[in-house]
Amino acid sequence: MVLEVQDRAAPQSDPIAAAVKLRPRVLEGSEQRFGPSDPDPNLDLLQRPRIARLVRNRKFQFLLILPNQIVFWTVIFVGLLGTAIPGLNFGAAITWYVWFCLVFVMMVVVGRAWCAMCPFGGFAEWIQRRTLWQRTQKALGLGRKFPEPLARLGFILPVGTFLLLTWIEEFFNIAGPGNPAATSFMVIGIVVTALAFFLVFERRTFCRYICPLTSLIGTVGSMGTVAGFRTKDRDVCLNCKTKDCMRGGEQGFGCPWYTWPASADSNLYCGLCSECYKSCPEGNVGLFLQKPFTSVVAPRRRRADIAWAIALLWGLVLYQQINATNFFGVIDNWLNTELHFPHYPNPVDYLGMIGVLALATAGVGWMIAKIFARRDLELDRPGAFADRSSRFRAFFVPFAYGLIPIVGADYFARQLPKFLQHAPRVVPAVAHIFGASSSHSAIYNFSLATNGWIVVVQVVVVALGTLAAAWSMWKISGRELASISTSRLGVRLTTLAVVLGSGTVAALLYVIMHAAD
Amino acid sequence: MTISDTMSAATMTHPGVRILADRCAGCEECVVRCPTQALTMDTEHWVALANSDLCVGCRQCVRTCPFSAVVVEGPALVAPRIDPEPIHPARLRNDVSEIRAGFDGWVEALSEAERCLQCPDPTCVRGCPAHNDIPGFINKIRQGDLTGAQTILRRTSVLTDICSRVCNHAAQCEGACSWSLAGDVPVAIGRLERFVADTQPVPPPFVPSTDTNLSVGIIGAGPGGAGAAWELVEAGASVTVYEKDPTPGGLCHWGIPDFTLPEAVSSRPWRQLVDAGVDLRSGVEVSPGDLEELLGRHDAVIVALGASQPMRLSVPGSDLGGVIDATTFLQGAKAALGDGGDPEGWCSALGVESQDVRHGRFGSRVLVLGAGNTAMDVARSARRLGLDATCVDWLDERFALTRPDELDEARQEGVEVRFLRTLVALHAKDDRVGRAELALTTQDRADRRPNVLAKGHEFLDVDLVVMAMGYRRDPAFTDALPDTPVRRVVVGVPDRRWTASGILAAPASSYADGNPVGTLALGREVGLESAALPVTDRLWVIGDALIGPATVVEAMAQGRRAALAVLDARPARPGSTTGESADRPRRVLVCYESLGGKTAKAAEALADRLSVDGDEVRVLPIRKVGRTELAASDLVVVGTWVEGLLVAGVRPAKAMRAWLAGLPRLGGKQFALFCTYALAPKGTIPAMRRALEAKGAVVVAQAAFGPRELADTAAAFGPAAFGQELAHRARAGASSGASVGYRTVPR
Repeated sequence: MVLEVQDRAAPQSDPIAAAVKLRPRVLEGSEQRFGPSDPDPNLDLLQRPRIARLVRNRKFQFLLILPNQIVFWTVIFVGLLGTAIPGLNFGAAITWYVWFCLVFVMMVVVGRAWCAMCPFGGFAEWIQRRTLWQRTQKALGLGRKFPEPLARLGFILPVGTFLLLTWIEEFFNIAGPGNPAATSFMVIGIVVTALAFFLVFERRTFCRYICPLTSLIGTVGSMGTVAGFRTKDRDVCLNCKTKDCMRGGEQGFGCPWYTWPASADSNLYCGLCSECYKSCPEGNVGLFLQKPFTSVVAPRRRRADIAWAIALLWGLVLYQQINATNFFGVIDNWLNTELHFPHYPNPVDYLGMIGVLALATAGVGWMIAKIFARRDLELDRPGAFADRSSRFRAFFVPFAYGLIPIVGADYFARQLPKFLQHAPRVVPAVAHIFGASSSHSAIYNFSLATNGWIVVVQVVVVALGTLAAAWSMWKISGRELASISTSRLGVRLTTLAVVLGSGTVAALLYVIMHAAD
Repeated sequence: MTISDTMSAATMTHPGVRILADRCAGCEECVVRCPTQALTMDTEHWVALANSDLCVGCRQCVRTCPFSAVVVEGPALVAPRIDPEPIHPARLRNDVSEIRAGFDGWVEALSEAERCLQCPDPTCVRGCPAHNDIPGFINKIRQGDLTGAQTILRRTSVLTDICSRVCNHAAQCEGACSWSLAGDVPVAIGRLERFVADTQPVPPPFVPSTDTNLSVGIIGAGPGGAGAAWELVEAGASVTVYEKDPTPGGLCHWGIPDFTLPEAVSSRPWRQLVDAGVDLRSGVEVSPGDLEELLGRHDAVIVALGASQPMRLSVPGSDLGGVIDATTFLQGAKAALGDGGDPEGWCSALGVESQDVRHGRFGSRVLVLGAGNTAMDVARSARRLGLDATCVDWLDERFALTRPDELDEARQEGVEVRFLRTLVALHAKDDRVGRAELALTTQDRADRRPNVLAKGHEFLDVDLVVMAMGYRRDPAFTDALPDTPVRRVVVGVPDRRWTASGILAAPASSYADGNPVGTLALGREVGLESAALPVTDRLWVIGDALIGPATVVEAMAQGRRAALAVLDARPARPGSTTGESADRPRRVLVCYESLGGKTAKAAEALADRLSVDGDEVRVLPIRKVGRTELAASDLVVVGTWVEGLLVAGVRPAKAMRAWLAGLPRLGGKQFALFCTYALAPKGTIPAMRRALEAKGAVVVAQAAFGPRELADTAAAFGPAAFGQELAHRARAGASSGASVGYRTVPR
């Protein structure tokens, strides 16, 4: 049988395109879903050609990392080989008097600025990619996926590593700072661990799931004014057929942080590496600024693991305040005697106190849920760990997000004494590398503030954080808790009162610490 | 609101799919590709939602998720594949009846068609060198509409009956089937295609009543020539085919025995083409020196020479009597085993003795060098001639180049295949070959050459040696066809649409015999796209002449692609008043490499100006410009920013240099060049010009724009004025390579 003329098929220039019949993409609802957290289009820094040219350059991140790389390799060598006097050893001085404080300033102002220039991840990534800046196709290492059960823990794992590192740091008095070599060993430990993870797992698995700082930077960084790399036009991204920003394109790698600019509603996982901007074939990615606290208040994608991380981090910083009181010394000594543990801090009271404080935070959330949850509140799905599909999580998770500014402020205040008392020592520490200074120099013994003023500054910082938290909590509770509560005003006032009470406790603890000191 | 996880729902008998909610970015790549709608979107949380009840375990989602956020566990839910057993004749000698069976009617065909998932992004289509719409034609089979199925296949193939018999489906469409990529058994796509072709014969070319007056000469009447001739004759072109053999068909005719490809099937395309008006001139051998004359006679010439030169192994004794090549053997065997042939007489002419294996003794031993498909054809033909056949190949059997089913069939027919051995010498006995000396080899990886061991040589008494290691293109055409053969290798980042489909994500499945089907398919795409571009003015090359020895389906697909390119370009021979199309606008492609946006802006301004004069203009960054885009343009304008430090190291941007270096042969295509600079362009334009001219392009204009010409306040914005100049030249018909614009650009 011969086909009829009308059946004759015309040849096609792109037969693959003709055969591909993708199911329609879901486009509806994206505006409603992302509208509140989308940055102002006018705040795209890459609208400025010079910045765009700089960021598009493949050497951009390399040049951010390089100075820190030099500094931290110097830290390692000087810490091991230099003087044992901490204040005169560049390794100890730069790390504990300046660096930690600067990281906090960067995270509060920018977000993950440190991650963009981090020498630990940066060094490991150079080796993983087998290049300092070029776009390579083959990665070194096994490229494994991070085990799913661990990935499901989200931020809990890096909080765990942060607690571990903090305990090690306290145990060996690294950040005191004590013996400068200890600082070197700590940095070497982080570099080696990062390198091992980069060689075993794909992309920045270490930075996302393991790095001790990632939970702190991720949560506190959400106060920052940089929204990160985001889509300019979401429909373009939704209809994109290649997703080069995720998979990697001609000019850039796929997002090392597993973030898609089109669905990011906070700066939580934007490492500011600019790879998505470089790889986007449509030029649809911008680097946006945002109002402070936008990434605390606006996101609709809230996660229980992050809420628990906030509670644990809050517990840790409170523990660090309490352990400077006379009361804690009594408990710690008693525990050490009973448990035959030779050294401060005793892991039982360390973890126990942090756990109790975190549970207390969660308990407040549970109480608020118990008091205010509407009886007809129905949640759509059974909950897994990161889910909020329970009455408790429905209240606790947004409530914990509202505490971020106060937690961040408390951490910052905690770092201030070392900076204000000893930051000038970096100058003689640098000079000492060349054998040109001693601990008797005037600048070595110069402080930026007296102890009394330091406490004042700490209290002011906590007060500002409390005010920011109060504003954030008011917004969050109004948007997310009021509608599921029996009393809209009641739940808002209650959460506000908790914030103010928490701020007061934190501020008072600084005063008590000072008295104890 | 928060996001949600789902727990594993996989059982021993049912797959389960889960979303790793922490990492799911809600990009919907899995959702739009899931064939069973087991994945949907949760728009409130903007993550994918998984429904394990609908999951069949094909793992498309796992392969396509950019962030590895989908987990599928458990077995695949797919029915067993229907694979008819080969029909081996009871008595092999002199029997060339077809071995491979098709489906035994509709019941089997429908059952197999039901195994197809109808994937939304069908990787099998990418795996098929011709890009047949496989889900489309299988769906038509399901509906009982074979006419519709044939219509769909005809869009991309004119050799469905041949390809369905001779293609190595395991390394192509079936290897790229979702089931195969998931580690299971793929749909029998080849047999379904054959079912369509056998039940609904391929219709002849439709010859339009209007004539385009386009005259095209095709050199070679193989599958590539057939594909090209078919498209051209259906478009109303006048087609003349020059074939050196007396019978058309090329390798399909003389190289593939009847028991694999029956004569009635292999001759079908050319019967239909000649009936449709193709001027077939058999017995006409074209030499490289004849190309100029043919280009004077035709508006375009398509070279489809094939690879007809058999490879020979040069070892001591290879010039002895009784050592022949595969072409000689296969052509002779075809004639001897065909109607009116004399198998015993031909064997005697070769100096070997034919015996009937049923009589308990074997005939003379034929040593076949190689164990690829050609070698299998030689050995199996030898068995039908009553000869004892032994194949030796220096590859490991794991990396054998033959179809796995063909190897099994050959062994069932009594062919002895010895891998990891290579011939080192042939020794004489009574003035002709009598003994072969073989060395042992080792091979640990497919991409590594085997090592030849010095010790442990084997000796084999032989009566005839056939060198069947493959073919190569006639080396006389090397100079006439510059930059060929093209390597089928993707340099740099592969097409992201291919990556998105997931075909590159899966490791080689066992069904595909360990072949990385995605990488192979992407490499074939380089050949296919290259076929669209002429190697010199009005001269296209396709098939084995373009890419070296390859497959029937690739040659056919490239033939079609080249024919479409000829029809699109409408070239005209000197002095001809026909051919050149005046009824469509000039198609201009403006492509650029921009860093800060200035070059992109200049490209847009230039394009805007060209559009004013009626040109059809596309503006693309160079990373989006490939062979297909170049082939579909009459004029290509290329712009770059200038890299370098002030005046040191000034040259085209690195990405532009890489792009220029990776361009294929451009065969007289017209280019215009521009660059944007801050201080001085220095040698930027000349460097680009040299790179393009080395590829055969013709540079018709060039310009360099400094800050003054690019300023928004400039009285005559440089790029726009350059566009006006290009438009003016088009109207005037000028194509000189003089510089235009705003700064003198040295040649």
